[in-house]
Amino acid sequence: MGAGQPTFMVHTVPMWRDPVIEVYKQHVDRTLLRENLRLTVEERFRKLMDLQRFAEELQRAGREARRRGRTT
Amino acid sequence: MMDLGGLLGSLADAGVEMILVGGAAATAHGAARLTQDIDIVYERSPDNLQRLVSALSSHHPYPRGAPPGLPFGFDVQTLRNGGNFTLQTDLGAIDLLAEITGGGGYHDLLPSTLVLNAFGRAVRCLALPKLIEVKRAAGRPKDFEAIAELEVLLEESQR
Repeated sequence: MGAGQPTFMVHTVPMWRDPVIEVYKQHVDRTLLRENLRLTVEERFRKLMDLQRFAEELQRAGREARRRGRTT
Repeated sequence: MMDLGGLLGSLADAGVEMILVGGAAATAHGAARLTQDIDIVYERSPDNLQRLVSALSSHHPYPRGAPPGLPFGFDVQTLRNGGNFTLQTDLGAIDLLAEITGGGGYHDLLPSTLVLNAFGRAVRCLALPKLIEVKRAAGRPKDFEAIAELEVLLEESQR
């Protein structure tokens, strides 16, 4: 994937700038990533688990609301 | 509910030779995206297959999304006969991968890994540049946002 000249090197692997990905990168929230980079790996994993619990709770609440909607 | 610490701990305690890849590896590198499972590339020697079985058997692995009651036995023979397994366990969803597109198997990926410490264990994880490379190789439109985030992480970590 990608085209053009390699623009930077990491671990001897040339990274090509893919114009499609470059467009997507404009919309990445760098503040969230900078916050994560300040955490340890374990803290990042624990944050992921917290997010998963939050998502599951929202999904449960949504299911419950839909069920109530059908019965009222 | 995923218990990442429990899953990674079980694998590490059993001495399973494996590499964390996919979304959980991206999380380890700082990605903010939510992932629902753990993807690992596992070494395919008979001894390691036995370690994998020992690590996961007590957590009741079962093919994810399959109807209940299938005659699925999680043993060395099953692992030997297959390559990639998408499983649900008591500790969460885990994908066991013999190889990945653009990266190959365990021994192919090994030079592009680093060892991280989490939950009191050493966890071997695919390095960020290689993670980007294999995501690019997969060529799936659904990965475009993830690749963009990983490339930004690489830029940020080099600042």
